[in-house]
Amino acid sequence: MVVFKKLKNKNRLNPFTVEIDDQSLNNSKDSLSESLEENKNFVLKKLGNSSDIVIRDIKIGKENLVRASIFYCDGLVDTASIQNSVLEPLMLDITSYNDQFLASRTEILEVLKDHYLTVGSINDVMDYTTLFNSLLSGNIILLLDGVAHGFMISMCGWNERAVSESTAENVIRGPKEGFTESIRTNTALIRRKIKSQQLWVESKNIGKLTKTDIAIMYIKGIANDKIVQEVHRRLNQIDIDGILESGYIEELIQDKTYTPFPTVYYSERPDVISAELLEGKIAILVDGTPNVLIVPALFVSFLHVAEDYYQRADISSLIRLLRFFSLFIALLAPSLFVAITTFHQEMVPTALLINLAAQREGVPFPAFIEALMMEAAFEILREAGLRMPRAIGSAISIVGTLVIGTAAVEAGIVSAAMVIVVAITAISSFILPSVAMAASLRMLRFPMMGLAASFGLFGIIVGLISLILHLCSLRSFGVPYMTPFGPLIKEEVKDSIFRLPWWGMVSRPKLISKTNKKRSHNSAPTPPENKI
Amino acid sequence: MKRRNTILVLFIVIQIITTGCWNRRELNELAITLAMGIDLNEDGKYLVTAQVVNPGEITTKARGHAPVIIFQAKGDSMLEAFRKMTMEAPRKIYPSHLRILVIGESLAKEGIGKPLDLLLRDWELRSDFYIAVAKGKKAEDILKVPTSLERIPANKLFNTLEVSAKAWSATRYVTLDELIEDMVSEGKQPVLTGVHLKVKGEEKTSFSKQIVEKIDPVARLYFKDLAVFKGDKLIGWLNEVQSKTYSIVTNNELSSVGNVSCPKGGKFVYQVTNSETEVKGKVVKGKPAIDINVRVEGKVAEIECGLDLKGKKSIENLEKIYEKETKKMLEEAIKHVQKNKKVDIFGFGQAIYRADPKAWGKLKKDWDKKFEDMEVNVNVHGKINSIGTVGNSFLEELK
Repeated sequence: MVVFKKLKNKNRLNPFTVEIDDQSLNNSKDSLSESLEENKNFVLKKLGNSSDIVIRDIKIGKENLVRASIFYCDGLVDTASIQNSVLEPLMLDITSYNDQFLASRTEILEVLKDHYLTVGSINDVMDYTTLFNSLLSGNIILLLDGVAHGFMISMCGWNERAVSESTAENVIRGPKEGFTESIRTNTALIRRKIKSQQLWVESKNIGKLTKTDIAIMYIKGIANDKIVQEVHRRLNQIDIDGILESGYIEELIQDKTYTPFPTVYYSERPDVISAELLEGKIAILVDGTPNVLIVPALFVSFLHVAEDYYQRADISSLIRLLRFFSLFIALLAPSLFVAITTFHQEMVPTALLINLAAQREGVPFPAFIEALMMEAAFEILREAGLRMPRAIGSAISIVGTLVIGTAAVEAGIVSAAMVIVVAITAISSFILPSVAMAASLRMLRFPMMGLAASFGLFGIIVGLISLILHLCSLRSFGVPYMTPFGPLIKEEVKDSIFRLPWWGMVSRPKLISKTNKKRSHNSAPTPPENKI
Repeated sequence: MKRRNTILVLFIVIQIITTGCWNRRELNELAITLAMGIDLNEDGKYLVTAQVVNPGEITTKARGHAPVIIFQAKGDSMLEAFRKMTMEAPRKIYPSHLRILVIGESLAKEGIGKPLDLLLRDWELRSDFYIAVAKGKKAEDILKVPTSLERIPANKLFNTLEVSAKAWSATRYVTLDELIEDMVSEGKQPVLTGVHLKVKGEEKTSFSKQIVEKIDPVARLYFKDLAVFKGDKLIGWLNEVQSKTYSIVTNNELSSVGNVSCPKGGKFVYQVTNSETEVKGKVVKGKPAIDINVRVEGKVAEIECGLDLKGKKSIENLEKIYEKETKKMLEEAIKHVQKNKKVDIFGFGQAIYRADPKAWGKLKKDWDKKFEDMEVNVNVHGKINSIGTVGNSFLEELK
């Protein structure tokens, strides 16, 4: 466990550390000045007089008028609340208060904060760095003349997408909520599922220019503390201009770049994330994207769907087996077809062989070239279908595959069996619920075809063996990727390629969670003893 | 790290440009041979006939040509003949899917061992194809006959042999490894089924000739009679009753039909559903003897005499009659083989070896002579399990 050796001598990192290397901010002049004019000019100069920054100058008090300014960024704040909770108390209510208390400026801030500003969250602002960060994150800045100390008041009120159905992951039975782009909504959605006080949220800002909010959520006591530390360490090492999507974070914290398989899982659904948290995994939420990362990820997680746990155990097990089987079809079907019809014709039943031979009469290309052409055509059609506007998208996919496939067969360019094999491969790859895993298999299919066309079944076996060796050597944050098959842990196989009913899955995954405690104590259901 | 990557890239590039697929054969480069025939030519050379499938004719896009083609070649050895076929055939013969091998009678009489060596040694040939002897004709004539229900004649021959062996048991399907094993083993001699060809003469019909040919083909292939071999040479043929006996004694009868005469005249038909035979050898005072126990289970399939089946006694009577007649049939057939053919095709030698290995050591010289005079006891135990779906025959009630 090389990863953990490095952590032995380091202290646990303060999760609130913010690393800013912004050179445009002059460190010597970082703290606020006492003069309001100076502060205002500095802020405007730094922002280049951006037209969406609003500055509201007010005077507080009836006799000892204290000048103050409110800065906010239009579009990020809820303007109605500003008027009700900030401007009204400062401008109207204070006049009814005793003026003598307004003599000392520093006391004013205390008084305002404790008595007048009827808002939920107020923090202190003492330097320009914090001022800019909070101003541009949707907070209001209140600065008083004569005091080098201000407030940042949280008043976010931007437009965001409502919580709606997740488009990328559909279920028939189960909650249909999906995450939105706002990190606060997302953490709230998870809190609603897990109401335990052990669910901890730790925040960070990553990205020099984007200063994206990142939240790390885990259930203290179930999640492995070493993995949490490792997550913090890796996130703190990120040095990049901007984080726009959780995909950036995934690439920057993943274990190995030179692998076709994803080692970080992501999902758009709160119920999936909550289930993973309950197993002891760690969620990383990124502001601005509904995709939440889950770490550490195992190979079998990419074959699981939330619906497996909502439907009954028997049908879920069969469908999981089907998914596992289609994994092999998606990877190997064209390779097997090419290998067997080119090298091992004795393995084919005679009647089928005669039919295949009949189809190949008159086809000019060898089987491998046919397979490559059809696969390439299919990939082109698939990518084109993604970018096309909705109205013609589905029409093109049907037209593309059927018509082009049939026309190619009629023209004698490819044989009909090849079209069928390619179509089955493509459909099997859609069964896989994770786009990342399906993409890996798409990539791996082509070298497999090359091996099959050069060396037949022997080449396929060599390819599979090297693939399995590679998979078994992968680790995701220290946890072996192929658990529960790699290190064979019998209790966890119950939930991998089939799903036992809930009374059978008694303990949590050993290598991921710290505690292997039982998570449920139910025995199998039995009917009552007395007849009703 | 850099060096390892360079080597990896070099590997891949070399693989692509040296086209490392040296054993690659596309499907349209194969001449799929489904049936083969071997004959002995007048000049002592082998005449090999290969029946090759024309794949385009089997599918729905058939253009009316024949589904198979014959390629022939002569050679001093089998492999030479195979390769000589490429002088005419546009593709190399691909024998992996061979279904049936027909051996001409003249070659069978000379000895089939030599041509079979190639078939056993070649890695492309499987060993699950059946072997038959063409009776009275040459193998090439057998392979040139078109068939109607099955488009490919090789399939028809294969299926006919298999189905008749299972349903009628007067024929026997023999694969290559079984044949070689029987030839080599000391207590048994091999047996192959004979293929016959019947060609109709010109007959006057009221329908047009073409329609008649479609419904009632001119040339028919059928399997009948077992050929008896001594070593690898053909020495004689068994008729139908004797062939059935062979099947029963070697425990290969799966289902068969026997006509048995009723006590008061007429006959009833006994259908065998299950049959087990045990051949036990014993050596009595230096002389070998065999006990054959046949246990048959079956049902009454047809009744043509006026028997009352409802009584328990009548069923037992029928069983006894069946047992007696079967025992007589078996004993006669075995005697015929002993006296006329004089070769042990039943495997009695192996039974003696199993029973008494020491005595077999002395007896195995000139076993066939001793087989001639050997004592054979047959015991048949028949059982009637059911009489079908009606009780007494309606023939009794015919007025």
